[in-house]
Amino acid sequence: MKMKENMVTVYIMGEAYDVPDSSTIITAMEYAGFQLTTGIGCREGFCGACATIYREKGDYKLKGALACQTVVTDGMTLAQIPFMPSEKPIYNLQEITADINTVKELFPTIFRCVSCNTCTKACPQDIEVMDYIQALKKGNIAEAADISFDCIRCGLCALRCPAEIVQYNAATLARRLYGRYLAKKSPEVDESIKEIEDGKYDKELDDLTKMDRKTLSEKYYSRETKLR
Amino acid sequence: MYPDYMLESIKQVEKTRPERYELSKKYGKQVFPPMNEKERDDILTNFHPDYKDDALTEIKIGPNKGEKLTSAVSNMLESHTRIDPAKFDLNKPDHETDVLIIGAGSAGMSAAITAAGNGSEVLIATKLRLGDSNSMMAQGGIQAADQKDDSPVLHYLDIMGGGHFDNQPDLVKAFVKDAPLAIKWLSDLGVMFDKNPDGSMMVKPGGGTCRSRMHSTRDYTGAGICRVLRDEVYNLPDKIKYLEYSPIVELILDDKGQAAGAISYHLGTKQYSVIKAKTVIIATGGFGRLHIRGYETSNHYGATADGLMLAYRAGVKLSFMDSVQYHPTGAVYPEQILGFLCTEKIRTMGAQPVNKNGELFVYPLEPRDIEASSFIRESTERNLGVTTPSGLKGIWLDSPLVDMINGEGSINKYLPAMYRQYSRFDIDIAKYPMLVFPTLHYQNGGVQINDNAETTIPGLYVAGEATGGVHGRNRLMGNSQMDLIVFGRRSGLHASERAKKGVDFGKMSLEHVYSYEKEVNKINIDKKKIAPILLPDYIPNHVKEKQVDTEYFGTLR
Amino acid sequence: MKIPYYPGCTLKSTAKHFENSAIASAKALDIEFIELPKWNCCGVVTPLAEDDIMHHVAPVRNMIRVLEMNKAGTVSNEKRLLTLCSMCFNTLKRSSLRVKEKIDDLDILNDFMYKEEDYDGSVEIVHFLEILKENGFDKINKKVKKSLKDLKVAPYYGCMLLRPKDIGLDDPERPTIFEELLSALNAPPVDWRAKNKCCGSFLTLENKETVAKLGHDILTNAQKSGADMIITSCPLCAFNLDNRQKIIKKIHPEFETIPVLYFTQLMAIAFGLDKELIGLDKNFINPIPLLESKGLL
Repeated sequence: MKMKENMVTVYIMGEAYDVPDSSTIITAMEYAGFQLTTGIGCREGFCGACATIYREKGDYKLKGALACQTVVTDGMTLAQIPFMPSEKPIYNLQEITADINTVKELFPTIFRCVSCNTCTKACPQDIEVMDYIQALKKGNIAEAADISFDCIRCGLCALRCPAEIVQYNAATLARRLYGRYLAKKSPEVDESIKEIEDGKYDKELDDLTKMDRKTLSEKYYSRETKLR
Repeated sequence: MYPDYMLESIKQVEKTRPERYELSKKYGKQVFPPMNEKERDDILTNFHPDYKDDALTEIKIGPNKGEKLTSAVSNMLESHTRIDPAKFDLNKPDHETDVLIIGAGSAGMSAAITAAGNGSEVLIATKLRLGDSNSMMAQGGIQAADQKDDSPVLHYLDIMGGGHFDNQPDLVKAFVKDAPLAIKWLSDLGVMFDKNPDGSMMVKPGGGTCRSRMHSTRDYTGAGICRVLRDEVYNLPDKIKYLEYSPIVELILDDKGQAAGAISYHLGTKQYSVIKAKTVIIATGGFGRLHIRGYETSNHYGATADGLMLAYRAGVKLSFMDSVQYHPTGAVYPEQILGFLCTEKIRTMGAQPVNKNGELFVYPLEPRDIEASSFIRESTERNLGVTTPSGLKGIWLDSPLVDMINGEGSINKYLPAMYRQYSRFDIDIAKYPMLVFPTLHYQNGGVQINDNAETTIPGLYVAGEATGGVHGRNRLMGNSQMDLIVFGRRSGLHASERAKKGVDFGKMSLEHVYSYEKEVNKINIDKKKIAPILLPDYIPNHVKEKQVDTEYFGTLR
Repeated sequence: MKIPYYPGCTLKSTAKHFENSAIASAKALDIEFIELPKWNCCGVVTPLAEDDIMHHVAPVRNMIRVLEMNKAGTVSNEKRLLTLCSMCFNTLKRSSLRVKEKIDDLDILNDFMYKEEDYDGSVEIVHFLEILKENGFDKINKKVKKSLKDLKVAPYYGCMLLRPKDIGLDDPERPTIFEELLSALNAPPVDWRAKNKCCGSFLTLENKETVAKLGHDILTNAQKSGADMIITSCPLCAFNLDNRQKIIKKIHPEFETIPVLYFTQLMAIAFGLDKELIGLDKNFINPIPLLESKGLL
């Protein structure tokens, strides 16, 4: 009982193709006959491989999107940005500090931000990109890590930035600094490691590995469940 | 937004919601009685796709010859090679390295960082880009028994029970013992685990766990880990080199039967390269893009089980290749996100699966195969599913409960990826339930390894989803993410150690390719059927009909 | 009194003690700073080129936040935006005047914004010193708990508080506002020649030596005029005059160091506020021995 598809015309790199109106940009390109090897990845909005820029009919705005997450519209004209040239500073996370000095040293370009907010407008994840760059400028790494959390590194922010900042690399640094240095420590993890290293569970585990299926099954179904 | 007729059914869901909310206040997660051993057996036998008559096919060649494997896998393994071995001069390698890693998901990159840290030169060859993998897409969590009320022993039991006691015990033991250490390793690399205000890990339960031990980074757990590993790889340019868009198409052995390298194929320039390596790690992931039994998949575009073919052709046995994981909650509406994963974390945070009348019919946190089978029963035998406009069946996952139970805004805060996914189609999952049905999710089985991640071929290691044994015939939520790190690190360490000791190489050889090819020819396989498949074929027939002089070699032209 | 407050990036990092001491001193005078709920960099360097509208986006965006605060009722009918950092003050004020004068520019900027409401040119940029003056220096005098009468303080204006003329908050050649404040704190102000000389500003990044030379001239002039310490309201001036004393000492071994404080730190000392809020450990040249010798700690 599949319903009949309505067709729309999309312009892929300027060329017109008729595709079903329920297509995403990726499936539209495949429907048109392209076998994609770049500009494609997870197809579910997690990998950032399929960054695309497009304009819709009658709209002056150049928009950014993930091709796998965006449904085509009639008259849409688009081009994929399968790769974003960028400088990534090399650092040893274990030897840097979680403060503004690290940010200044590794990402001096962020101090060129003119607060135009074009990055935010370009972000297909609706991240307030400018806000996290501004947070970094103030040395607020925790805030930058939090705001940028959903970044999938598609590169569209950097593509549109007039100050030529590579926002997503700065965001990666902020999150790693937060995870490594600023997040509160979880002592229970170290304690459990110590118990294991001290051999506390060795005998019990060894016994389990040798246990016959029936005994193991009984032990499994009779174990107590305590969920938080 | 949902069409009107679906909104009618949603009204039923809304009607029963207050009562079900009360149940959750009273019984926590156990709003429906969990199944006992017999009930589990019954539902699997009657409803799990693995138990259908044509689910398995006997494989006619190779190390598992005569065994029954998942039909699509048997079919893929009975394929020709992509290369003509005679055309390669193995004595003139294009690249040489200590450790060659095939695949750059979390397993491959954990292996790379570990091997590099142990002093080895590493080369990664990956099909698409660094980090392009199922690892990046995982949402719900990563399991480790590091809480006071938990222990590796309980973790062990959960894994064995979830896998129906078929799991390989030495692997499970290594797994549960390494897990807390892996959490620490990731924290030190800067992974932002969700934490309680006092700093302790914010842990949730998962399907089939008896304790709350699911660690997460919101609902981007895979990405939260994988992107940190990728950044670390970028930060080690002197120690780790990488080739992108360069899938491996065959392994190279030496005449003593040791791993000696591999042949890569560049997807863009179509050139092949010879890579010589002292040790080789396969970390190529799973098989979702084989679309087993026609199922939609939650998997990455590149999940075509290349590693199974590479290892199998080289003579390594596969384990548990008769079982497939269908994740209970794949999206069935809207159509554009068909098969996409709706993370199990939604259920661990309190969402309940209900039928079209808004009735509970299963404990929301059964192991995945049980949960999936009960969804299938509800929408087939009992006919209580909801039909989509294109004719698919689904079950409601009542997500608004998450906010009711955990406080308003919880969905937006802890499930941002899910929230965004549905918002793109004007569905607010904090207000409306999600329509779901099992989706092809995970390769339970894979290449056989020991607890050092070694195969029967000296110098060949395998890690991550490409392996078989840890999870038996059914994996629990959050154990694949941990699998990637535990066995990624183990493979990296042991491969590096072997490389450091020095390998006494014989003559480089593709003899195994010739001999496997002979077997394939004996069973009359179509010349155009080749594997590794590399990428799925989504070119529609109306295009192919007009490509009058285009040659398709496997799925690629 | 509640007033919208714009901190600026430096006040959240290296000049945190400036902010802390200012907020605490203001509180003692019943002035409450309400920080903009969301703000970005002031723009730092206001472009002098006619056509460089892009660089006015940042300051104007901050002014829109003041309108939003009024709309949300966080402040009531208070369109003034208070600044502490001289650089932020100058940058924001210059933009606010420019868009008021050139309506066409304002239209272009409004067109460029995203979800923000239009800016109408109604926000007035003020410096904390101006608010203190308006509030009455006599009120400050009443709050003094520790008299600074033995402390000779040289007030340093630099450029950004005074120039250009239509931006400056006082006479660019003969300013008095700092002196009035010091008098209110019972501290005898030092009259000196270099109070409005340039500290070298951003040259500090590229040419430390030049900045050290300028700093040496300024600091020694203060010392010759009898000053025990210098006060400022600019984090960049503070950096050039305070932190750069290390290099000055290297070039001029005979040079004696002199403490440089934010004026708000001095207020907080006079008001007898908590030493955590004064943050004297954040100053590069340690002012504690001097202050102790005058019995102020």
